[in-house]
Amino acid sequence: MDAFIRLENVTMLYGNNGTSAVALREVSFSVGAGEYVAITGESGAGKSTLLAILGGLQVPSSGAVLMKGVDLSSLPADGLADFRRETIGFIFQAYHLLPYLTARENVMVPMSPLRTSAREKAGRADTLLASVGLSGKEERLPSELSGGECQRVAIARALVHDPPVLLADEPTGNLDSSTGEQILDLFSGLHKSGKTVLMVTHNRANLFRATRSIRLQDGKVAEDDPLMAPRQAL
Amino acid sequence: MNIRKLAWKNLFRRKSRAVFTGLGIFLGIGTFVALASLTAQMEQAVQDKLDRFGANILITPRTEQLSLGFGDISLGGTQVAHSRLTAADEKAIHGIEMKERLRSVVPFFLTAADASGKNLVWMGVPATEIAAARPWWKISGSPIREKGEVLLGSEAAVALEKGPGGTVVSGGRAFRVAGVLHPTGEKEDGMVIAALGDVRSVAGNPGGVTFFEVAALCKDCPVEDIVAQIGGALPGARVSAIRQVVESRKAAVDQFRRLGIGVSAIVLAIGGLMVFVTVMGSVQERTREIGVLRAVGFRRKAILSLLFWETGWISLLSSASGALAGLAAALLVAPHFGVEQASVATSPALLGVAIGMGLGLLGTIPPARRAAALSPTEAIRSL
Ligand SMILES: Nc1ncnc2c1ncn2[C@@H]1O[C@H](COP(=O)(O)OP(=O)(O)O)[C@@H](O)[C@H]1O
Ligand SMILES: [Mg+2]
Repeated sequence: MDAFIRLENVTMLYGNNGTSAVALREVSFSVGAGEYVAITGESGAGKSTLLAILGGLQVPSSGAVLMKGVDLSSLPADGLADFRRETIGFIFQAYHLLPYLTARENVMVPMSPLRTSAREKAGRADTLLASVGLSGKEERLPSELSGGECQRVAIARALVHDPPVLLADEPTGNLDSSTGEQILDLFSGLHKSGKTVLMVTHNRANLFRATRSIRLQDGKVAEDDPLMAPRQAL
Repeated sequence: MNIRKLAWKNLFRRKSRAVFTGLGIFLGIGTFVALASLTAQMEQAVQDKLDRFGANILITPRTEQLSLGFGDISLGGTQVAHSRLTAADEKAIHGIEMKERLRSVVPFFLTAADASGKNLVWMGVPATEIAAARPWWKISGSPIREKGEVLLGSEAAVALEKGPGGTVVSGGRAFRVAGVLHPTGEKEDGMVIAALGDVRSVAGNPGGVTFFEVAALCKDCPVEDIVAQIGGALPGARVSAIRQVVESRKAAVDQFRRLGIGVSAIVLAIGGLMVFVTVMGSVQERTREIGVLRAVGFRRKAILSLLFWETGWISLLSSASGALAGLAAALLVAPHFGVEQASVATSPALLGVAIGMGLGLLGTIPPARRAAALSPTEAIRSL
């Protein structure tokens, strides 16, 4: 099978006047469509940097990122934005909802540059909120929702453009374990429905849900394990 | 939800910031509109006053040796032997094509003559015209009401040692001093002013006219045309527009206008700076939010338009309210600036709103560019 996502010798240097930190060193690997990759590693290992580069939020110092054979570095700024919108759904540890918008409005945010009617956008948002189990809470502000519910809103927001790839950076990091389990159930469901998932996680107990685990250490791939997860059979 | 609405919602998240951003524009536009509409009204008031009183055309005979004029009457102690202007010329003036424009034609007659043993210049004016022709005169005593009365210029009163109620004798006739002029700084300070007929009889020149002062209604002033027409009617006369009357008043208004423009420019610059600073601050503060928007696929242009809509809303609201406040302020203070009928001038208000919008958007350019250039990775970096 062709590689869906491919990293070739990706190196990321953070340098600000004199001091420089190496976040990633010559990282290469491929991810096939429909994989569920758990990315682990200690704090500072380069996990977030890796996700940012995969999602086209950051340009690596050297090396290439190919998505369906297209080199992201060849895309102009707007092209990258379009790529993110069409291909990538981001989910963050801290949800990053806009606090002054309701759940529905937060889900509508990625659609705001579009010309579709407000009613259509709201309808799409409500459908997505229902799919993550938030029917009836569309009008709530983030401050009126629990952490798990906020993360569900964030997942709904990531799914607005039906992207084939979900990039999640410690999505359960702020949640208690049972709420975290429910969120992971959602991800498993999305994986089952055909999404390619790359998730940074601290919790080794989560690994059984993934089809593969990559462990980073000091900016290098230290371990790359295909796991025999029960849900792998599609 | 679209960008416009997203921007609108954002305003209400940080009300105090929005208010502060708008305050600069509000004050700037308020000041600008107040000053602009005030000067517009003052110009109108000056124009109205010029029309109501004060002459703007002077008709003198073509004499080479003598320069008879407002401030420069040199009669050299000798009587003016003759005047080429006569009372009949008044009819000719009233016969010009633009005669409806003529508000008043006032004949003046000057002569040097004896006044209680001193040789002084006598000025004759129709008694009923004095108030309109010399509205700035201040008189101790009373104005001339009938024949046989005179007004004394302040210096003439000192020279003759006379005051209201006194008597001035000339050519065997006694004239009662009705009043004394406060010093004007003009030649009339040294003159004796009397009814036209009296001065003519003192000089023995029944139809004599030294000069005419013509007040022409001067809205969108065709003074040059009127001057030309009178010149055609009186070939022997020199007809000139009294520029300095018009110009000096215009100059006063112009100065005020320049002051207004200067003050407005400063206040507007401060307003623009306030927008710049607050929007810059809000960009800094919302680094993460902007990163999130970029992560969900906003193009740079969408970020720019979000920020421009935000300041656009603020600028619109604050410049509109600033314009209203400015108009209200102008209406309130106008009476203190010689405007009798204060009115609402819409064009400065509309201009003010346009400038306010422009200023707000201009002040947003640097921070918006900065926001669009921000690296979106800050957002993904979980704290
Ligand atoms: N903006 C930055 N400037 C400088 N150094 C950075 C920056 N972001 C990350 N780093 C460094 O890069 C390394 C990897 O960071 P990160 O990708 O956030 O790791 P992780 O997500 O695994 O904790 C760390 O050493 C971190 O200090
Ligand atoms: Mg991290």
